[in-house]
Amino acid sequence: MSNTTPSPFALVDIQGLHKSFGATQVLKGIDLQVRRKEVVCIIGKSGSGKSTLLRCINGLERFDSGHLAVDGQALQHGNAPAMRELRQHVGMIFQSFNLFPHLSAGRNVMLAPSLVKGLPKEEARTRAQTLLERVGLGDKFDRLPEQLSGGQQQRVAIARALAMAPSVLLCDEITSALDPELVGEVLQVVEMLASEGMTLLMVTHEMAFARKVSDRVVFMHQGLIHEMGTPDEIFNRPQTPELQQFLSALRD
Amino acid sequence: MVQFALWDILGFLVGAMRWTVLLSLIAFAGGGLMGLALLMLRFAKLPGVGTAVAWYVQLFQGTPLLMQLFLVYFGLALLGWDTSPMVAASLCLTLYASAYLTEIWRGCVMSIPQGQWEASSGLALTYAQQMRHVILPQAARVAIAPTVGFLVQVIKGTALASVIGFVELTKAGQMISNATYQPFMAYTLVGLMYFALCYPLSWWSQRLENRRLA
Repeated sequence: MSNTTPSPFALVDIQGLHKSFGATQVLKGIDLQVRRKEVVCIIGKSGSGKSTLLRCINGLERFDSGHLAVDGQALQHGNAPAMRELRQHVGMIFQSFNLFPHLSAGRNVMLAPSLVKGLPKEEARTRAQTLLERVGLGDKFDRLPEQLSGGQQQRVAIARALAMAPSVLLCDEITSALDPELVGEVLQVVEMLASEGMTLLMVTHEMAFARKVSDRVVFMHQGLIHEMGTPDEIFNRPQTPELQQFLSALRD
Repeated sequence: MVQFALWDILGFLVGAMRWTVLLSLIAFAGGGLMGLALLMLRFAKLPGVGTAVAWYVQLFQGTPLLMQLFLVYFGLALLGWDTSPMVAASLCLTLYASAYLTEIWRGCVMSIPQGQWEASSGLALTYAQQMRHVILPQAARVAIAPTVGFLVQVIKGTALASVIGFVELTKAGQMISNATYQPFMAYTLVGLMYFALCYPLSWWSQRLENRRLA
């Protein structure tokens, strides 16, 4: 952990990240740099620490030691204004959508830009409408989340995150709670974002998707980055027995 | 011996009942505002503050209201403030209601899924914005029924203000009883009047609860 010199070209710069829950070490020294416009997928067994890593990046989880910076801004727990500043650059999409159930789809998208960025209401409304159209839900502005399918809810959640114009989007198993026939519509939106140059860091179990959109795939195992490479390297020429085993278990 | 007509008695009791209602409303409004402030402090993650609020709640839940009334009434006098029973009772019941309402509402806030906090934090909302726009609107739906139910407790609680000399419904009943030597009749009328105040609220609370669960 001696060198923590920030890497100047990385949008997300993680060095020597350690995290324990009680006696259990979940992250045992993660080093990961994500460049601007890069799409990185994190794969691995459940319990390998991949979700925890993602949650550390926007401060939902505290890490014990190491260095984490987004867009050159170091993450400082306990400094609320700095945390909010950082979170404006980091969008997060959750497995369980977490839409605000008392607000319509449009108001879910409008809320943070109005409150945090002080966007005038009409402007926020127009932007929310545009964003909903981008995710294919232009006609659902006034629907409550409970009136939408899971796939539609997740697309609203994506629009809500995009409304803050983040530099990087974190996706935490965003299709795991969806019925199989709804997975495609969400992945399509993510793919569109990737092609438009959004920086994406996703934890996923959709291997075909990871192979297709990733610039880089990270395999996590027991709290460490075990193997990392292009989709071709990771999926076609896995080097370590752990990754080989993980991939072959998926094929069965 | 003077005979009192039933109408005179009822008129006197209804007059006193207005004070019961007024005291309840003051306690409820004051307790509600203060309870909301305490609720905000409770979840604010400021070191020591949440614990302090928890102790405040325990203090009021762990002692009889009657004793709280004595402490406030005689305590204020000891501090040199010459207060009327009305002011002392209002203050005490406000504090009492704030403690209970904070605790009721705490449970409602706790029932909101963690994901709502995480999503709103992730969108860079401040704590106050999270509470105001995300958490409390959802918690309020859960809170309405138990809050209305607690109003019944406050109304009944005001009866204790009679012991520090405040003439509300119970005290009025006592006076009628002393004047007519018919305590059973007096307190029956008083009881019916409390029931007339409280039952509609209990019924409403029940209905709200059923509708929420439906």
